[in-house]
Amino acid sequence: MSERHVTTRRGFIAALGFSAVSLYGAWAAYGAAPLPFGGRKDASPKADAHGSHDGHGTAEIPAETGGHGAAAGMAPEEFRFEHDFFVQKYAQKDGSVNPHADADAHGGDAHGGHGHADAGHGHGAEMASVEPVDVYLMAQKFAYSPDVLRLKAGVPYRFRMMADDITHGASIQLGAASRIIRLRPNVVTEQTITFTKPGEHLVYCTVYCGQAHDAMHGRIVVG
Amino acid sequence: MKLNEELWLVVVIAAVWAVLAAVYALVPSLGMPGYVRVWGGGAVLFLMLAGVLVAVGRKAPRG
Amino acid sequence: MDSISTSVAPVGSRSRLTARVAALPGTDKALLTLLFGAALLALVLGLFGGFVTALARAGALTFFPDDAYRLLTLHGVSVFFYWLYLIQAALLLVLAAAENGRGLALRPLAWLGAALMLAGFGVSEWISATGTPLLYDGSPELAADDPRSVGVFALGYLLLSAGLTASALSGIATVLQPRLRGEASEFTSIGFALFAWAGFLVVSAIAATNAFLPGLLWALGTGPFPADHGTEWHILFHNLHYLPLMATVLVWYVLSEHLTGVTSIHGARLSKIVFAAYLVFVPPTSLYHMFLEPNLSESVRVVGSLLSLFVSVPTLAAFAIIASSLEASARARGATGFFGWMRGLPWRNPAMANMGWAVVNMMLGITFAFVLIQEKLAPMLSDTFFVPGYFHFFAVGVLTQTFLAALMVILPALGGGSLWRPELLRRMPAIVTIGLLIFGAAGITAGVMGVPRRAFDVSYGGMAPAAWPVLMALVGVGATVFAIALSVSVYGVVRTLLSLRPSLQQAPVVDWRTGSRGVGAAPAWTGPLSVAALVAAMYVFTIVAFQLIQSLPIIAIGGGHGH
Ligand code: HEM
Ligand SMILES: [Cu+2]
Repeated sequence: MSERHVTTRRGFIAALGFSAVSLYGAWAAYGAAPLPFGGRKDASPKADAHGSHDGHGTAEIPAETGGHGAAAGMAPEEFRFEHDFFVQKYAQKDGSVNPHADADAHGGDAHGGHGHADAGHGHGAEMASVEPVDVYLMAQKFAYSPDVLRLKAGVPYRFRMMADDITHGASIQLGAASRIIRLRPNVVTEQTITFTKPGEHLVYCTVYCGQAHDAMHGRIVVG
Repeated sequence: MKLNEELWLVVVIAAVWAVLAAVYALVPSLGMPGYVRVWGGGAVLFLMLAGVLVAVGRKAPRG
Repeated sequence: MDSISTSVAPVGSRSRLTARVAALPGTDKALLTLLFGAALLALVLGLFGGFVTALARAGALTFFPDDAYRLLTLHGVSVFFYWLYLIQAALLLVLAAAENGRGLALRPLAWLGAALMLAGFGVSEWISATGTPLLYDGSPELAADDPRSVGVFALGYLLLSAGLTASALSGIATVLQPRLRGEASEFTSIGFALFAWAGFLVVSAIAATNAFLPGLLWALGTGPFPADHGTEWHILFHNLHYLPLMATVLVWYVLSEHLTGVTSIHGARLSKIVFAAYLVFVPPTSLYHMFLEPNLSESVRVVGSLLSLFVSVPTLAAFAIIASSLEASARARGATGFFGWMRGLPWRNPAMANMGWAVVNMMLGITFAFVLIQEKLAPMLSDTFFVPGYFHFFAVGVLTQTFLAALMVILPALGGGSLWRPELLRRMPAIVTIGLLIFGAAGITAGVMGVPRRAFDVSYGGMAPAAWPVLMALVGVGATVFAIALSVSVYGVVRTLLSLRPSLQQAPVVDWRTGSRGVGAAPAWTGPLSVAALVAAMYVFTIVAFQLIQSLPIIAIGGGHGH
């Protein structure tokens, strides 16, 4: 045993088993390290760090108390109500929905509660000062509502999304790649999304949901 | 009955699973009671297998 | 060239494994033949479904949506459930019986298990072909108006689980026999692995019951609608990834000994620890399947991401044990050359070829698996064709080829026939791997570019990028290549199962047991270098994915929403 070469020793073999753990280094380099060490946590513009730990984050709750009562997030009924309101209010002649259509009125009505200065967002660095605009997206067999959204580049949108009937998903096509969000029925998912460039993005359903699943798609037009 | 590695390996498996099941049971906000059933059930099974190993060790004719 | 002093085992001699299989009692042989045959039938049905699915995805065939999804269901159910579990039950029993040396214990239970699994097979295939297409996860949401489909689908898997449990119990009782007889005071490393694997099979049956019993009860009108199926399925699904991998590693152990006479140079204890490690590491690592779930809290996401890094520990450790044992044994017999020692392996034996290429596929598969388990990258890749693109390296390249390799060794011993055209069969694994590489490269690229999995018409009203159909056509080309080569292997194995005439010529094996020089004195770099290459590849692809995701014209903050 003692005259064995290091590569044939037991300890070496056992250690080899753990090699893949070293990928932590690559994660850390991109600010995606799960542990506090080794990460430039906020170097990544993608850091999903936003306080969604519980509810959407204690940091955010104070700013929101006027809006939604439930600290744990939006209730499905409330989502449906707000969604219907959103779609009605901003509907365009061509059938698309444009939350800027009525820019001046925004903030004065049901949406008022949504938040003065989301200081709690702190992470998007340069975005922190801009108040996100609320956008509602409902998925149902076999379409999105609204199915065409008109948005502006550089503006942060607080996407509130929910599946109405069964599980769906939403994949936003971004040219070279995509961003996928899974939507469970009656669970409101929230993401703050900023499109940095103008363009047109296909949105399609990512979870098989029945016969016409393949046809389930929508569009986000960023102007 | 000597505590050979087989026995302690099986016990370690049962223990890890039991801890896992306990975490999911005691932190309901994790919201996955299925983990409690499956890994809890697994922990019980592997404890039983440990018992079988002990019993076999006792019963086997020595030598 | 190497100057290895390989003693080729004399013609007609049998390894310990094949001698013991050949000596099994007739009833056990009948049961095992039945199970192997059923497993192969499932594989044949599944390959057909997979091939047609691939052609449909490539745009070469067009189906009505329901039919296309029925084919996909047939594919997933047949290969992922029935092929992989029937073959595991059969391998567990045959290896346990060989370990025991005197056949199966609790024989009636083993037969009952087979009967239940076959009943499940029939039920599942029938409902997959005729019911509402539910895909292999059988989500009840998809057929809320068709409880019959949900119930029958669940029943199929429940029967399979019950049968697996019965088989596993027989397997456990069987490996304990030598100790009950007082012939041994502890397990061999294979015996322990079988024992742990059988236990894990039972746990997966518990997970399957947890996931599918509610659907059956609902269909019978005696339970609430199983709204939580998604989560319960993930628990089962995660198990189902690693069980066959554990079985694969065990088969590699068994085949290495059969093909070269070499057993671990690191002692049985380390092997036992590694096999136990599957059971220790797998459950805590399961969270990465849930990264896209909106109701997974951020803290669970973080912990899950960290734990997922450990998921390959047992597999890589087992690989390192086998590779170093083989290399050290070869060097002890005078083999030279950095990688040249590998030329001494019995590559003309199709079992060796299948196993060797399975290892290559495993390295490819692990590389991309580790890109997917990154919590920040998952939103770019999950639910796209990236997923089937990379996991066929495992499903086909690793698991299926390894199990076929085992069959190529076991079936001639079991049935007394001979291996069908070994010279042809030994060439297939390389072709399968080439096909998988085309399929994987095109599929992974397609997935990154946004092509969804589980969708047949991806034109989206003309909005789909122009590159999509091109990439998917390449996927079809790769699928055709590996489907044909794999079908030849399967055909050869089926012919072997049916063959009755023993052949004088055994497939070649070598005997590396006793080297003249001290085993392990020379360095054995093949294992560590392979692992280093693997880690390097993981770094490269992970970095590519991070670069890509950061270049996208979007800034997204916040994933799910805890509650
Ligand atoms: C001839 C060989 C095979 C071909 C051509 C093939 C092809 C495919 C294709 C194209 C898909 C993707 C379908 C989609 O997401 O749109 C797929 C899915 C899948 N394949 Fe295979 N496959 C083959 C063999 C296997 C084997 C042997 C296994 C497992 C042991 C396997 C397991 C799976 C699984 C689990 C899925 C996912 C099904 C789903 O998403 O519902 N495949 N296969
Ligand atoms: Cu959908």
